[in-house]
Amino acid sequence: MEPASPIPSRTQTLRAWKEQGGGIAAVLPIHYPRALLRAFGLLPVEVWGPPRVDPAPGAAHLQPYVCSIVGNALSFLLSGGLDGTDVIIVPHACDSLQGLGSLLLDFVRPRQPVFPLYLPRGRRESDLQFLADECRALYEKLAAITGRAPSEVELMKSIRREEEADGLLAELHRRRRVLPLSDLAFYRLVRAREYLPAEEFAARARAVLDGPPADPRPGVPLLLSGIVPEPMALLDAVAEMGGAVVADDLACSGRRLYPPGTSTDPFRRMAERILNGPPDPTRGSPIAERLRHLVGMARESGARGVVFYDVKFCEPELFDLPLLRRGLQEAGLPSVHIEVDLNDPLSGQTLTRIEAFLEMVAGQPAEEARR
Amino acid sequence: MNPLLALRYHWNVNVLGPVVLRLQRWQAERRPARWDTRYLAPPLRIAPRTKELVARHWLAGRYADGYRKVAWVTSGAPVELLKALDFYVLYPENHAAICGTARLAVDIASEAEGAGYSRDLCSYARTDIGAVLSGKTPVGRLPKPDVLFACTNICQTVLFWYRALAEYFGAPLVLIDTPFVYTEEAAEHAVRYVRRQLEEAVPVLERIAGKRLDERKLRQVGLLSKRASELWLEILQRCRHRPAPISVFDQFIQMAPIVEMRGDPETVDFYAALLKEVDARIAAGVGAVKNERKRVLWDNLPIWYRLRYLAEFLARHGVAVVVSTYTNAWGELAPLIDPDDLWESMARTYIYPILNRGTGHKLRTMRQMVEEYQLDGAILHSDRSCKPYSIGQMDQRDRLIREVGVPALLLEADHNDFRAFAEEQVATRLAAFVEMLG
Repeated sequence: MEPASPIPSRTQTLRAWKEQGGGIAAVLPIHYPRALLRAFGLLPVEVWGPPRVDPAPGAAHLQPYVCSIVGNALSFLLSGGLDGTDVIIVPHACDSLQGLGSLLLDFVRPRQPVFPLYLPRGRRESDLQFLADECRALYEKLAAITGRAPSEVELMKSIRREEEADGLLAELHRRRRVLPLSDLAFYRLVRAREYLPAEEFAARARAVLDGPPADPRPGVPLLLSGIVPEPMALLDAVAEMGGAVVADDLACSGRRLYPPGTSTDPFRRMAERILNGPPDPTRGSPIAERLRHLVGMARESGARGVVFYDVKFCEPELFDLPLLRRGLQEAGLPSVHIEVDLNDPLSGQTLTRIEAFLEMVAGQPAEEARR
Repeated sequence: MNPLLALRYHWNVNVLGPVVLRLQRWQAERRPARWDTRYLAPPLRIAPRTKELVARHWLAGRYADGYRKVAWVTSGAPVELLKALDFYVLYPENHAAICGTARLAVDIASEAEGAGYSRDLCSYARTDIGAVLSGKTPVGRLPKPDVLFACTNICQTVLFWYRALAEYFGAPLVLIDTPFVYTEEAAEHAVRYVRRQLEEAVPVLERIAGKRLDERKLRQVGLLSKRASELWLEILQRCRHRPAPISVFDQFIQMAPIVEMRGDPETVDFYAALLKEVDARIAAGVGAVKNERKRVLWDNLPIWYRLRYLAEFLARHGVAVVVSTYTNAWGELAPLIDPDDLWESMARTYIYPILNRGTGHKLRTMRQMVEEYQLDGAILHSDRSCKPYSIGQMDQRDRLIREVGVPALLLEADHNDFRAFAEEQVATRLAAFVEMLG
């Protein structure tokens, strides 16, 4: 249950792009205007940690109570992991990423320019206007370092390319249960959106979507929430234990199913797309809205339980959990919360908890879950 | 308005309460000092008045339900708008600090932890949510909010925390989002964004308050706010004097009114009186630490449950902690407030608190303090509960040592949760630090 041709790795993609004369933008989580970077010939390559790096270089700058996504990103940078990139974009998702952006600018000062991007915490007209202005400001900064000045037409072309890729990404999510892909293969494909050029991702997504549907995958249907499914072996382990991920609310995945924009102003349209994405605590979405979204997704996908799979010390996630879990329980959806450090291997304890959760969900009458 | 509730409010807040509080003040003025006066100056004479002022504020909150509109706000929020609309303003962070000082925070936070809130979350937030869930509080009773007013200029935590409060109370959340200032100057579009949000908040707040915003009153509140902040800054700057007339431990206690009663005339009177007392101390040659040998700064929030321990430990070694980036935050922006151009100046004032600025700016602030206050070292409280304040401290400490040439200590703790305070370890590290000071 793997796609016909293997998906190139981040390193391969980065190398190939560079060979064509393109630049690389290393981008920290979570939301940012991909289209803007591409309009400057920069390929956004996201940095979610990465997992399993030597944390020592980052530990010289960050306290142990900072999450491992931020800690690992800094370690990775300091160990030369981002040497092949031309610019670093740090979207403002939380206090820890804010701190990382600030540290890079003030103390670490990497070779590449560092551009923070502040994301507003609401969906008001003022938020939209501000984010459009932020995108404009980022445009100016990128223009200064690349010497390019993409026209409005070029920007709109870039936006449409990303919108098409995001449309296909959303379709993959909608049809995930009948795609001929294991959970692991599915996430390898959708997470390739983190670094593949949009057109290449779109071609791969289309190839999978155009293929014949498969029988729905067996297993206790689960909704996976949280930040990032690392280590990815988790997904095979869940399948082996009799579970199937049928929907997700992961920050790296389901929370970035941006709808197409409507504005004819490119900066406003980029802002619109980000602000109209699924609910996300880092964008200030109310907890009730998140809960409705989770319950709705569970109903649509048939998920019978929710696994909150979080990176330790992730404040935006931890604050919502008690009310989300209570609301889900009231909706007949049991949940379990698991915290991991990106440098830890998949632990027996995690697997035991998931297994116990699956047994509990499997033992619960399906009607109750649909209540 | 329910006349019985109005009567109850007036009786308790304006008649009976003040008498009781005055009596308590009278008793406190006669009580012997609790902190070790072999090494520390006697307590400030104004201290019982501080307690009375703060207690009266909380007393008004206790009886506010049904009589006054109540706003729960974050400590860096543009409170002038609320004051001008006659809201009773409650600061959950201050309430949590009161719980911390009274060593009740862990018990109250446990209520939140029992409901699923992780111990990795801010201990102020846990204390506050615990108080909401259990009703436990040392101030009698907390009034329910009619509106939640959060400003992200101190952290993003407040947004996550107030979103939870909005669910518990079903109260509207008004957000003033202040883009983080990574460089020296905030971008013009960021200032514009803050100003626009302030203006957009007005009709929402007016609807809840049931009255129109009177621009003249807002200007008056702005003036009072500015004056109180200026006085507070003057008081802090008096600590450039040797010996410093008050320590940061005094400042931590005396800062309550500037945080929670900014914009009130009583606050201006209070700080004018405090300034007078501080000047009298300087004239009499009284130092907060009796044998002031070394002077250091404090970075980050206080460790509320160990103020006395830290003050006494350091004073015993002749170390006076004379300045703090934290207490300074409520004074340093005073010059930015312009009552004649309030909307624009509010936008600028509230985007520039130290916590909304980069790690390099904080280092520059500390360097300047070392120079202006003639400091011999720095204590940087690495506060588990406050990531935005703490991230950057490892580099700041290294640069203070390397580039400024002063010993700097990173002290691991938590502002409200004593379970994160390892006393033996702290004592060892402080002792080593004192030794380095010479």
